[in-house]
Amino acid sequence: MTLHVVRPGPQATLQGFARVGSRHLGIPASGPADPLSMALANRLAGNASADTAIEITQGGAEFEFRQASAFAIAGASGKLSLSGKTIVAHRTHFARQGDILSIGHPDTGFRTYLAVPGGFVADEFLGSSSTCLPAGFGGLEGRALRPGDELEFDAAMEPAASLETPANLRPFMTASHVLRCVPGPDYAVLDDAVWPDVFEITRRLDRTGIEIRGPWPHLADGALKPSAAVFPGAIQLTPSGNAFVLMPDAQTTGGYPHVLQVIRADRHLLGQVAPGDRIRFLRRTSEQAHNDLVAKTAIFADWLPGFRF
Amino acid sequence: MTVPDIRMVGDDALSIEVDDPRHRNVLAEHLRHSGRWTDVVPGRRNLTVGFDPLAVSPAQAHAVLAGALEHAPPGTQSASEEIELALRVDPESGPDLARVADENGLSPEAFLRRVCASPLAVDMMGFMPGFAYLSGLDPVLRAERLALPRQRVAAGSVGALTGQLGLYALAGPGGWPIIGRIQEPLFDKVAASPFLLKAGMKVRLRVLGSSS
Repeated sequence: MTLHVVRPGPQATLQGFARVGSRHLGIPASGPADPLSMALANRLAGNASADTAIEITQGGAEFEFRQASAFAIAGASGKLSLSGKTIVAHRTHFARQGDILSIGHPDTGFRTYLAVPGGFVADEFLGSSSTCLPAGFGGLEGRALRPGDELEFDAAMEPAASLETPANLRPFMTASHVLRCVPGPDYAVLDDAVWPDVFEITRRLDRTGIEIRGPWPHLADGALKPSAAVFPGAIQLTPSGNAFVLMPDAQTTGGYPHVLQVIRADRHLLGQVAPGDRIRFLRRTSEQAHNDLVAKTAIFADWLPGFRF
Repeated sequence: MTVPDIRMVGDDALSIEVDDPRHRNVLAEHLRHSGRWTDVVPGRRNLTVGFDPLAVSPAQAHAVLAGALEHAPPGTQSASEEIELALRVDPESGPDLARVADENGLSPEAFLRRVCASPLAVDMMGFMPGFAYLSGLDPVLRAERLALPRQRVAAGSVGALTGQLGLYALAGPGGWPIIGRIQEPLFDKVAASPFLLKAGMKVRLRVLGSSS
């Protein structure tokens, strides 16, 4: 089966599992910026949570089904249509041969996931199909999708019936976010005032990081540290006076002060943060963060067996 | 051995201070082979391990790491492998060379002679795929990170900070002043072994071209 890329929008990539176990070689995690939404789309297509799907950034994308196939969409959603007829996210759809799927710009949220039965065929590197844009591997030739690309998939496992994401499991898309964080190793350079403050997302954001503007302390000498391991969700202060929160394609080590860490249970929310959005941080201890993760995983356990945040 | 202090790094990683790079690499291998950690990442002064917080609580992970450190091998590895790399130093390849040399009161040629005479070794890989941190740079040479990182430095670029060099395997953003560019590819995604360098390797630099 083949899906033809008519327009990929500002950026679309193939994503699957995060790469684990090779950060000491400088290999980032990659994988979906919002793994929960990708898992929900995959579920409706009859797939496992991390089967290879398309991550679409800010909509504006169009695809043509070369053959009849099931598909599903989750995540941020603007207007969705199939050959001109309005369709909804969070439901299994069945396209006919030649149908054009159009994904509009979302009003809130940032990334939309398109899944097909069996997942897309993609380049494997170090055990994962995920596109790593900074290094140029995984996905389709290690790059973002282009108009004219033909994406192969094996729809042998087509779902028999249309499924719908239970209403209480659909992530709420918003322009103001509350992110639960634990203090990072360099929290001491921050003021406790960080907790009640409101921060704003600038226009500098991609799959490596999101810039956060706000009342960060100004560090005269940059307060650089010897380079140490950093993971997605790390919030670092940079000499520009703004902070960056690291995303799946981010570097594996860094020397900027690591002041906060978005907890594992909430990192999927970062994938839906858009320019101009507002952010507040909610303080957690690492034990609370562990309990948050166990609780959130339990909510999705029946619908998404085996899904890990 | 003395068990170092264990610190949380966020909610799903722990770090310990290990100053000696040779011991850091041995300890990293030991922890990696234990299979208990999702990632084991050496830093310049420390070692960080990631854990699956759904499988173990932070307190459990802490206890497992403390136990592993008590039984860790005390040894250090010997850096036996050595590699020679060719360095281009024309103004396009090394846009910061003249300024950094001047700030050290040296001509570019004298600066490079000291770089090439330094006992360089790969301390750790990280930051980006194939990026190598080299220790051993002549401590007389001083250089600081750029106040504003470049959006893009070329693949093979050699950055210099006081006491160390950083080799950029791929084009990408970078905050180190760039003094030259390595000819050999440092990362090849289709090679059986995609990385030219690895932690522990000794490195000798040889300046190419007429500007040296």
